[in-house]
Amino acid sequence: MNEMSLTGPCADYEHDLVELQEGSLGPERARVIRLHVESCARCRAWQAEFAAIDAGLAAALPSPALSADFEHRLQARIADLAQPVNRSDLRARADREHERLVEALRRGARRHALLDGLGSAAIAICVLALARGLLEQADAMQLLFEGPQRMVILGGIGTAVALAALAWTAVRSRLPLAG
Amino acid sequence: MAMDDGIERHLAAGRHARAFDLVVPAYKDRVFRLAYSILKERAAAEDAAQETFVRVWKALPRFDGRAALGTWIYAITRNTCLMELRRRRPTVSFDDPDSTEAQHAAASIATGPADDPERDNLLRLVEALPRNQQEAVRLFYLEDRSYETVAEQLGMPLGTVKNLLHRARKRLMEVARPDEVKAA
Repeated sequence: MNEMSLTGPCADYEHDLVELQEGSLGPERARVIRLHVESCARCRAWQAEFAAIDAGLAAALPSPALSADFEHRLQARIADLAQPVNRSDLRARADREHERLVEALRRGARRHALLDGLGSAAIAICVLALARGLLEQADAMQLLFEGPQRMVILGGIGTAVALAALAWTAVRSRLPLAG
Repeated sequence: MAMDDGIERHLAAGRHARAFDLVVPAYKDRVFRLAYSILKERAAAEDAAQETFVRVWKALPRFDGRAALGTWIYAITRNTCLMELRRRRPTVSFDDPDSTEAQHAAASIATGPADDPERDNLLRLVEALPRNQQEAVRLFYLEDRSYETVAEQLGMPLGTVKNLLHRARKRLMEVARPDEVKAA
């Protein structure tokens, strides 16, 4: 829909009609435009539509105001920024931060050591319990332990325990260190 | 501007704190209105105005007077607002009613009298304009229809501002239903 655009000779009057509405048109030009508007229904309609949208916008658009304490808050912020930097305060703040980080690392290391011990003990108990159960239930297996392959089987169990411990270490290394 | 002359005299004499004390009351309302026209939300505009004056305070000793003081302050305001818009951008979605942008737009519509469908319709039409036209329209009516003030604050030539406003209002005339426009 483009009915609101003036076309032909009237198109030249659009800006003049706006300025006439806003009172910024020079007196001579204003007289010419008024004469034209009196004789041109399309320009009259356009001018009326423009006046309506102008008034509508002026009434509809919000006109917010600053908070009463705007300057007070700004001055407080500026006062904070303007305070001279105290070197000993900065040093003390850095020291506190350093101590906090070291303590967090220590806590993390202690937690990992505890988890390592518990994990290794649990794996060893599980593997030994499994081996014992197998040996108790299988006569043939028991014979093997008494036979010449005994060392091979015990070595196999030991290797399994070592592999399980390695796997646990790999899992542990993914845990977060701090805290 | 007489106030700017006073400020610039203090600046020339190296009295930056005194100059800043004059800058804030002289510019706070216009900085806020410029920020509001860009950010479309009162609280965000006030935060941006605070941030603008903090930046002005930090940079005032380096102000060399090559540009007018107002031009310089408005440029800082626009940059502060653009940074805020950039910060919001990851959540911007005009289709998503929960997006930050949509919430800000809704907030700007909801700040007037309730139950006024004509007003709400007109504000929605303004929201649909291109961003530069929206900013010009908001600022123009906030600044008592002063083209010169809008041009100075948006850092645009006067003719550009007049064209932006003309296109925006013609567009609104085209899309607004005539009966609603007349009633508004």
